[in-house]
Amino acid sequence: MREVIIRVLAAAVGTLGFGVLFNIRGKKLLVGALGGMFAWLLFELLGGVVANEPIRYFIVSAAASVYAEIFARLMKTPRTTFWIVNLIPLIPGGSLYYTMSSAVGSDFELFMQRGMHTLELAAALSLGIVTVAALSRIIKKNRTPQTK
Amino acid sequence: MTQELLRCIVELCEQMVCSGAEVYRVEDSIERMCTAYGAVRVDAYVTTSNIVVTSEMADGREFTHTRRIKSSSVNIEKLHGLNSLARQVTRETPDVEEFRCRLEQAEQVKTYSFWQQVLFYVLIAGSFTVFFGSRSLRETVASALIGGIVGILVLKAEKHNVNKMMVRFFCSAVFSTLAFMCLHFGIVKSVDNIIIGNIMSLIPGVGFTNALRDLFAGDTMTGILRAIEAILLASCMVLGYIAIAYIYGGVAA
Repeated sequence: MREVIIRVLAAAVGTLGFGVLFNIRGKKLLVGALGGMFAWLLFELLGGVVANEPIRYFIVSAAASVYAEIFARLMKTPRTTFWIVNLIPLIPGGSLYYTMSSAVGSDFELFMQRGMHTLELAAALSLGIVTVAALSRIIKKNRTPQTK
Repeated sequence: MTQELLRCIVELCEQMVCSGAEVYRVEDSIERMCTAYGAVRVDAYVTTSNIVVTSEMADGREFTHTRRIKSSSVNIEKLHGLNSLARQVTRETPDVEEFRCRLEQAEQVKTYSFWQQVLFYVLIAGSFTVFFGSRSLRETVASALIGGIVGILVLKAEKHNVNKMMVRFFCSAVFSTLAFMCLHFGIVKSVDNIIIGNIMSLIPGVGFTNALRDLFAGDTMTGILRAIEAILLASCMVLGYIAIAYIYGGVAA
């Protein structure tokens, strides 16, 4: 439990840091950082339910994208604002590092295995984003009458 | 509509692309704005590196404007302002002077100061070191300090327009060297978490997500450009680490 809390808080601080680097300000910065925190919290909570890591990545990335969509509408800002920070804790940096360290260790089999894992995570992450993006476009098209 | 007005519109959209807007939204904005000024047909083609617009008026006059976009860095506050301005323009169709004036206002946004940004590089490296499993205070502090050094390098390089790929390669080599030095002098027990923490601030995760979104929104060209850029940047970063790890392996063995 303590471990989970530490990780969730670390995710929030890290996300906040990226928010600053992208020059997000004021309330939007807070919402963005909380988004990153909730994304990771959801990931931890799903740990007991969904054992498959890529599938968990997919669910969390879709949820974080929905969060971004909703708050972008509420705060009247381009959704890029929240989209680019919410998913930061999900970037498979650790996985990428272990892949490259096994490349240095010249253990080809381990390298392939870890490399595939990293790719799987990245693919799951992007699939989540893309699914929500596609759905939101369909919804938007149906709601606003065609202006052309 | 006049040529000057189209220039303003394209200027606005160029700034949007530079601050990290989605490309199809920029195309959309151009179309809306030109239509608001009375164009009957607008052809806009936007990628991350150029903008081409031709707008045809009801009386048969045509206006064309092209821009080459050279550099960009994500700046959400600016994007937010520009986006609202684009909506305003579509609604109110101000004249050229008014447009220019508002555009200049929108381009002036507050940014975090150099040292503030460095401070957040420190925080990012530290917090992701903890996030990826480090529970040692020494490791976290070492990682955070290295993160600060990387931050200074990245920000200085950005200011002088150094090639992004070189920056990744060089910074990754620098943080790997420092991490291995910490290991060598017995400050930490392993370099893993330090390097992971610092990778996070250099990883082109945002570029990659943007690339995918553009790809699936139908902007194949932009998507491919962004994806390749992200992959190249990541490879440069990985190479920086691998080079140092090999050298250290040779020295230590």
